[in-house]
Amino acid sequence: MSLAFKKETFRDDYTYKNSVEAIKRFPFPFPEDTYMYSVNMEPHTKGPKGAVTEHTFDIDEHYVSECLDKAKTLELDPGRYAVLPHMMDAQWDFLELTMESLSTDYPHLFTLKKDGKNWTWENKPLSIKKSFVFGDVSTLDMDPFEYMSRQVQGDFVLLDQRNDTLYADAGFITSQADWSLNFDVGMAWHEWHGPVPQVTKLGVMDRALKYLMSMQLGAPVRRLNWTMTINPRLDTSPENYPLWGGDRNTVTPENVGKKVHLRVELQTLFRLPRSNGLLFSIRCYLINMEELSTFPRWAKRFHRVFRDLHSDLAEYKGLVKFREMTVQWLSKFDDGADIGVGTHPE
Amino acid sequence: MSHINVKVAAIEQVTDLIKHFTFVREDGQPFPVFSGGSHVVVSMNINGRIQRNAYSLMGNPEETEAYHISVRRQEKSRGGSVHMHDALKVGDSLQITFPVNLFALEKRARKHLLIAGGIGITPFMSQIADLERNKANYELHYAYRAPEHGAFSKEIKANIGNKLITYVESEGGVLNLRNLLSKQPLGTHVYVCGPGPMVVAMIETARTLGWPENHIHSEQFTAPPSGESFKIKLTKSALEIVVPPEMSMLEAMEAAGVDAPYLCRGGACGRCELEVVCTDGNLLHHDHYLSEAEKAAGKKIMPCVSRAKCDLLEVVL
Amino acid sequence: MERGYWIRSKPVYSALVWQQQANAHLVLVEGSAGGLAAMKLFQQMLPQQSITVIYETEAGGADYTAALKKVVPDDLQVFNSHDAAMKALEAHLPEALMGLRIYVAGSEKFMWDIAQIVLHYGVDDADIAKELTGTLARSVYCVHCKAITHNAHTNIQACSGCGKKLFVRDHFSRRLGAYMGLMVDAEDPGQIPEIEEIYP
Repeated sequence: MSLAFKKETFRDDYTYKNSVEAIKRFPFPFPEDTYMYSVNMEPHTKGPKGAVTEHTFDIDEHYVSECLDKAKTLELDPGRYAVLPHMMDAQWDFLELTMESLSTDYPHLFTLKKDGKNWTWENKPLSIKKSFVFGDVSTLDMDPFEYMSRQVQGDFVLLDQRNDTLYADAGFITSQADWSLNFDVGMAWHEWHGPVPQVTKLGVMDRALKYLMSMQLGAPVRRLNWTMTINPRLDTSPENYPLWGGDRNTVTPENVGKKVHLRVELQTLFRLPRSNGLLFSIRCYLINMEELSTFPRWAKRFHRVFRDLHSDLAEYKGLVKFREMTVQWLSKFDDGADIGVGTHPE
Repeated sequence: MSHINVKVAAIEQVTDLIKHFTFVREDGQPFPVFSGGSHVVVSMNINGRIQRNAYSLMGNPEETEAYHISVRRQEKSRGGSVHMHDALKVGDSLQITFPVNLFALEKRARKHLLIAGGIGITPFMSQIADLERNKANYELHYAYRAPEHGAFSKEIKANIGNKLITYVESEGGVLNLRNLLSKQPLGTHVYVCGPGPMVVAMIETARTLGWPENHIHSEQFTAPPSGESFKIKLTKSALEIVVPPEMSMLEAMEAAGVDAPYLCRGGACGRCELEVVCTDGNLLHHDHYLSEAEKAAGKKIMPCVSRAKCDLLEVVL
Repeated sequence: MERGYWIRSKPVYSALVWQQQANAHLVLVEGSAGGLAAMKLFQQMLPQQSITVIYETEAGGADYTAALKKVVPDDLQVFNSHDAAMKALEAHLPEALMGLRIYVAGSEKFMWDIAQIVLHYGVDDADIAKELTGTLARSVYCVHCKAITHNAHTNIQACSGCGKKLFVRDHFSRRLGAYMGLMVDAEDPGQIPEIEEIYP
């Protein structure tokens, strides 16, 4: 596979777009006409060729621009990267996992040469070449976690496992769906998972925690989550809420198709070897309603899901202001026909 | 559960009762790095019966060409350790699980106090490597019955010097837990692995002195006790399986081809927990995982070590 | 407040009770309400181990020093400033041993200032007994400019750093010792709900 990396922006003039191929591989999250919140995990095994799950970490046409956007967000607010001091083993675990995965999965883009502890890393798309000593922070320009978080699409949280729970003790968070790393870092599982409407009584979070705490080396898992964003903005942080909150007022029946985006998170979890911690990776995919509706099956499906979504969930996800307009816009694709079960586009 | 196929590369008689086994991968790949305190579950074929025992990894976690375990011969057990001692030869093939850590170091501790009794030294051997690498503040207190039982004490002494303090019972050495635990600086975490009574004494002493629960760490694997035969019914798969006297529920299910979840096989981790539908007798809980209240309620069972005195036990699987 | 709905990060406080299993005891109380909480503690069966009481009286009001002198058997230290009390705490910890039980009664700011200090000595806040006394005033972290504004009594608080009007959430960070404050009129500038005192 050779990738042409697009030059585009996720802020200001918002030139972000999906190619036809990118639309086709979009991780559409709704197999049925109704949506129920769940934390069901599946093994993160290699998906079909071309799918976003084909490789351990997905590198796509937005890679270079997204890495630039990350750097910009971090430059404007260094608090998007935070790590507690006891997480150094987990940081090296992360560097090792990402460098080994990328160089194995995309050998034409990334290479890793090892001579004992002396490693040389090359990232061709970002024009980086670096020799360093694995385990010796002084030989890198920055923390190992920050170093590789800047070079992989998505957000990353390192979890420490102790006291029968998981603590979010490090993070590199620049494309979050409205949560603050600087505020939440160091929190235990139940503290940073605020209650989700309609699910708090089911013990869903307790079961998910127990499942994750018994995750094993070599057996990563994944799930999809979703929300919606106005404009293709990666940085929908509470820090910058004053910058993007008002965008929800700018949606009109004329611009729904271009402005309203479905935001899907491919969440993957890995047990880390040295630290016994977990890596929680959150990869964000954005698609606007026009792009989505190039596959009418998806437009029909999403029309039904969004129309019938429980109002508490719509409120929780911040979708109320533009829900009616978007449902109205999508309705023209929906003839009411039964489209069966499954997330496939056609 | 994913497995690694390994070959026995070396066997060393460490003491009269302890053998040290070195494993390499059959596919020639490096093993995964692991964290100090991890164990693997070794599957062995004993005359057609598959038995799986958990053993702590005791090598340096960063060395990926081989894994190391040590096995103490237990005459009165169900034959796993005897099989490892008598039947296993260099070149034999085995299956092990990926490493799992249920005895992890608390990385934020200001000081680590490690307390080992006898063969309970093994998880600490990998932890020492992590502690040294991270330049942590720690002491290892190692008690054993007689000089000839002090497996590895010379090797450890050579590595960590006076951070090792030994107590040899036959030479009058006594580990006074109360004295030791009452003079530790704030922020210390204590870890114990050894014979049951020693683990219980350490936990009780620490509690009496006001140590918070999350500063007290222990590892104790229970071998599945034998008992009377009983029958289990699995509601989801609609299977009926007889659990013979010398097998655990988990082993009987595995022998019947059921892919049941597990991690430690010693009643410690809670991964194999099953929901009980009903029974015409009593549950015999042997695990360290369920609370006393949960055990009394009789709604859950840990099939790796627990059984039932009944004709039929119905569980959800 | 919606019934049955609870932000799990919001701390729960309860009346102080001696822990009889201990190596030593350290009690820290603030102001007149904290002084009274300490007096209540000494109404209970006294534990065997040594007890140190640090009493901070900066805010004035009823002073329980004389009464505490009569009941504290070993070591009572009284300070008329918050900083001096925190320095006394810092001085106590380097020699402290495992099994030290810590009890705190006072405002949230007092408790979480202490929690941050003892965390450096490896003590988790979960292992500190905490009783909220005197006030429900909150410390508010501005998620936008990162300043912390103390003594918020109202549902909406002006940020001492950037001046934004912050809605004071229940979401609490133990590391920062503060509740999250989020700009209340970001979506609709100037639309400020009625400001009410709900944390007296």
